[in-house]
Amino acid sequence: MTATAERVRQRPDVARILLTQRIPLLAVLIVLVVVTFFINDAGGYLTAPYDFDYMSAALINAVPLAMLGLAELLVILSGRGGIDLSVGAIVSLSGMVFGFAYGEWAWPLWLAILATAGFGALCGAVNGFLVSYIGFPALIATLATFYAYKSIAIVINNQQPISTPPIQDLFSLSKSVELPLFGQYIPDVPLGIFTFLLPTVVAVWLLLARTAYGRRLYAIGTNDVAARWSGLPVRDTRFKAYVYAGLISGLVAVVTVAQFASARPDAGVSGSGMALPAITIAVLGGVAITGGIGRVAGVVLATLLIVWLNAGILLAFVGNEGGQYQLLALGTVLVFAALLNGLTNRRYGGTS
Amino acid sequence: MSVTTAEKPAVRTTKVLPSPVTGQEIVLVGVIAILWVALWVSTPAFMTAGSIQPLLVATAPVALVGVGMTIVIITGGIDVSVGAAIMVCSVLTAKLLVDAEVNLGVAVIVSVAAGGLLGLVNGVLIAYGRVHAIIITFGTANLFLFLGLQIFGSGTVNGIPGTLAFFGRGQDGRTFGVPHAFLITLLITAAAWWYLRHTAGGRHFFAIGGDAQAARLAGVRVQRRVLLAYVLTGLLVGLASCFVIAQGTSTLDQSVGSGKELAVIAAVVIGGTSIMGGRGSVLGTLLGALLVQSVASGVTQLGWSSQLSDLFVGIFIIVAVGADLLRARARRSR
Repeated sequence: MTATAERVRQRPDVARILLTQRIPLLAVLIVLVVVTFFINDAGGYLTAPYDFDYMSAALINAVPLAMLGLAELLVILSGRGGIDLSVGAIVSLSGMVFGFAYGEWAWPLWLAILATAGFGALCGAVNGFLVSYIGFPALIATLATFYAYKSIAIVINNQQPISTPPIQDLFSLSKSVELPLFGQYIPDVPLGIFTFLLPTVVAVWLLLARTAYGRRLYAIGTNDVAARWSGLPVRDTRFKAYVYAGLISGLVAVVTVAQFASARPDAGVSGSGMALPAITIAVLGGVAITGGIGRVAGVVLATLLIVWLNAGILLAFVGNEGGQYQLLALGTVLVFAALLNGLTNRRYGGTS
Repeated sequence: MSVTTAEKPAVRTTKVLPSPVTGQEIVLVGVIAILWVALWVSTPAFMTAGSIQPLLVATAPVALVGVGMTIVIITGGIDVSVGAAIMVCSVLTAKLLVDAEVNLGVAVIVSVAAGGLLGLVNGVLIAYGRVHAIIITFGTANLFLFLGLQIFGSGTVNGIPGTLAFFGRGQDGRTFGVPHAFLITLLITAAAWWYLRHTAGGRHFFAIGGDAQAARLAGVRVQRRVLLAYVLTGLLVGLASCFVIAQGTSTLDQSVGSGKELAVIAAVVIGGTSIMGGRGSVLGTLLGALLVQSVASGVTQLGWSSQLSDLFVGIFIIVAVGADLLRARARRSR
């Protein structure tokens, strides 16, 4: 056993790097997916061209997905079975709050966005309070609040969406723009990438990698008891992870309302909802469900992989078949990612 | 906790078994009684056979899948793919009923076998792939959805004959006024209760949930037991799918089973089963499912928006698990 481990350590081959480090693996997979679809496109097998313009336009789907993936990253990192099933319901409910504030009461846009993010953070605080201070298992607490928020969002306006003129005008937020300076050389990029996604990515990265809070979060996620005996404010740290997740969900609510040009009461929970894809993205991005392991770059790359894969699948099939094969792809990728995690844990003693 | 009871040969020394009903079940019976009386007072029509019978029929599928889910959660796992599995089984069975005009027995056998197969996929991946159950079942949920939608083809399954009326809401679905679907659920729950409480195999599930490593060292074949838990859940999903078809109209649409996994998990945790594993009861799950359905029925009867019942489900989960946490804290400090 030790001899094998010794040999493996001396020979840092490509296979080992790809198996143990999620970020190179995701990068390779993204290149594979894009090249595959480019070849298919050149062979004329796709219903529409798969080029850089199309890939760039598909990024609009990455905005809510990556942001909620980052929200799950924070919560899952906090350990002790951390997970948030309620993010989709928070998106629905905060979206309705945004609809009322901006669409009905005609608040200024900045104030409405601030209020929506604040309301999302409040919803997250309820989760955090239940999990961190009362001691509920995260799965249970967020399952309960999922039901509660979802129900309130639908009942609050009698199941009616809010789509007054100011809300409809917000649709311009989700259009693609040409970047200044070098914009004519690259495809137009959806505006939401710059207004919402990039700031969130940078903020979460700074939070995790450059603040004492981030270090504490990794510490409590890795070993709850050791962190407590080291004098860290375990409860406060875990509580804040849920608050931040709620805050991000509130921002996603604004994005979603703009994208639909309407505040829909079921925006985040219709179909299989927004929480399950977000958790999928986090796991695919290398976040360990047991807590303490996970990086922002992994979540971002996992989002790009899924978004570009889905976009390609949509072109490879006619009609609604494409949507079904997206489910197949997502399920297969997730199962293999999980099995890969299990394998590397046994073979190489775990990822970093 | 119950780990200590599970490690001993529980069959011979009945003293170490926990009491037949836990505090949670008594509380649930009380809550359901109060709710029913309150509904009876406010809308007298509630306490009639015409209102209670549909309530019991609607409880059956969730409670039945809940029995399997309880065993899975007792082992420390979870299965979020049951909603998608219900979809696969019900569309497969509905197609058979329409295209091949099979009889009741064949339909049930095919549905149960299909469910068992899906459960086997989950079980093999979780027991032998040694990965977290929630992740794997998120993945298989997507795969099952794909499978179900492929069987659906496009649109809906229409013109389902009344072959399964034995499990349905109508006159054919009742004996002496008791709906067959509920009766079968009751019998299976009772069997599962006895199995979990009075056989060595049943106690092994608790041992695994308490501490899988200790259970393995004590001679429990952990992987086989875990596999069995998911297969059992799958088989029950298959039977529950027959109930779902029987309760519906002659048309089956693609939303069948959607969101059922969360409803089942809600019933299980309201019933007092610990999500951390090692502790739980199928009796509580049946009561939990009955409570959730009573609330849904009550909300409609009071003329409120039917969506409001989800808010109560959320509150019940918090209250039920909160009460359990307080009891656990009291147990520890004693």
